Amino acid sequence: MTRRSVVSYTLESCIRCMKCIKACPTSALSMENDRVIVDSRRCINCGRCIRSCHNRGILAQGSTLEDIKSYEYTVCMVPGALINHCGSREEVEELFYAIRMLGFDEVVDITDCTARQMEEAQLMADSADDVTFISSFCPVINRLIANRYKVLQESILPVNYDSEIAAKQIRQRLKDKKVGIFNLCECEAKLELAKFPYGNNEYECDHALSLTDMFPRIRKNMQKGRIPVSLCVKGLQSCNPVRIVQKDQYLIADGFDKVCAVLDMAEFGLLNQFRLLILYPCFNGCIGGHMLWGNSFLMTNNIDALSHGKTKGSSDVPFEYVYTEDFLKTDEDTRSFMERTMFFKNVNEELERLPGFDCSACGMQTCRVMAEEIVKGNRKEEDCRVLKTLKEKADDDQRSD
Amino acid sequence: MAVILHKDYKVERDDYAAAGKVSSDIKQTLNSIGYDPKVMRRIAVASYESEINMLIHAYGGDITMDIMDDGQVKLVFKDPGPGIPDLEKALTPGFSTASEKARAMGFGAGMGLPNIQRVTDDFDIQSSQDGTTLTLSFRPAK
Repeated sequence: MTRRSVVSYTLESCIRCMKCIKACPTSALSMENDRVIVDSRRCINCGRCIRSCHNRGILAQGSTLEDIKSYEYTVCMVPGALINHCGSREEVEELFYAIRMLGFDEVVDITDCTARQMEEAQLMADSADDVTFISSFCPVINRLIANRYKVLQESILPVNYDSEIAAKQIRQRLKDKKVGIFNLCECEAKLELAKFPYGNNEYECDHALSLTDMFPRIRKNMQKGRIPVSLCVKGLQSCNPVRIVQKDQYLIADGFDKVCAVLDMAEFGLLNQFRLLILYPCFNGCIGGHMLWGNSFLMTNNIDALSHGKTKGSSDVPFEYVYTEDFLKTDEDTRSFMERTMFFKNVNEELERLPGFDCSACGMQTCRVMAEEIVKGNRKEEDCRVLKTLKEKADDDQRSD
Repeated sequence: MAVILHKDYKVERDDYAAAGKVSSDIKQTLNSIGYDPKVMRRIAVASYESEINMLIHAYGGDITMDIMDDGQVKLVFKDPGPGIPDLEKALTPGFSTASEKARAMGFGAGMGLPNIQRVTDDFDIQSSQDGTTLTLSFRPAK
């Protein structure tokens, strides 16, 4: 079953500028009848479309605080990336208090699980001889590989997301209560990693909250009180590519285009000397998460400031909480090899007849996407505005002769 | 056995900026048609090595890809020279004749042809001073 994309479209404010359609790295967006359509099979939840939009016409929404009422006891998980946005321990303690004031019974820092996730990844990589593993920490990377780098799919580490490791631990600890587990997400991609609002029932986490929605309320609650916290330094460091303990056999890359370049090289077998590729599609790692408001360079320095004071080691949850194969599953293409190849061939032939300007005026991102739609029978060659204009011009010239 | 998809490519002489473009297209094509990832990995490695060889050792050349109805992929790399003087040596791991310029760019470790041979199901190489033709076939896993 295809997982729903977290990207949603708000018709009212859209001026149909096509910026979002052009921004998509996987050609998942198109315009049909003056509406933006998101193809969930192609979308990798990277959020580029959201940031390209100047009119807030494209959004990613999480659950609402109303959902707290459905549970007897609620826990809110706070990721390291958000904690790193605080300049001091006192600020972290205020932040936790402010989050609890939203209506939660408990606020949990998950940096110990982030550290465990990184430790297991490094352990697997260090004990491997001739395999190059790819970090599984980011759902965008996992979707990108499933979508565009199928060769590398078996290289993704079977290590679960930190929010999932933490959620399993919380569920176990509070198994006598009807617990609602909420994850406060620093980027749109992580909104996918919960039962609600996107219906992904395989996750232990119940609700994903968008930090963009929560931030104004959290800010109002700041400086009202404190909750003592104990942070895991390794977990805080794992949120940023510069602060991870580097080894010769690890390759660490951040930024979407850089990550794609690394994946291309890996497919050509040019990175076989590395045991682990740690990839962050966001510049400066999760600290550069798109829903965070601060400057990610400054936040990187906070890691050191927060390392003083009460700390804890990485989580010692059992192995079955840490390992998973779930995110390796993808949709099977039901067409035969022959059908797929002939479709591709027909698309290439159709592409020859299109102008190749990739102007998006037809509503499709590129001429290739348009050619695919024509072959599928959803569009016609006449829908191409460039061809139409050229034809009209030719007709006019003929008439005037 | 019939060809169901055919593609022609050209590698321009000394165009290092375009290094890997053809292999990228081959890889993307196979990805688009949902080709077996395990075999795709071998094809990606072999096509990249062969394309780079054309650039650093030969004066560019032509590449063709044929995909057969039984899933077999055939790649032909044909260059106009200068040819490989000693084929036996060229197929020995570690032997390299790459120029300083090419080595400085990270190419020419002397593993090219032996690597290609290792990952290919059917490997054929013909070489004279008028050029080299490398024919590689890959069969899908049963």
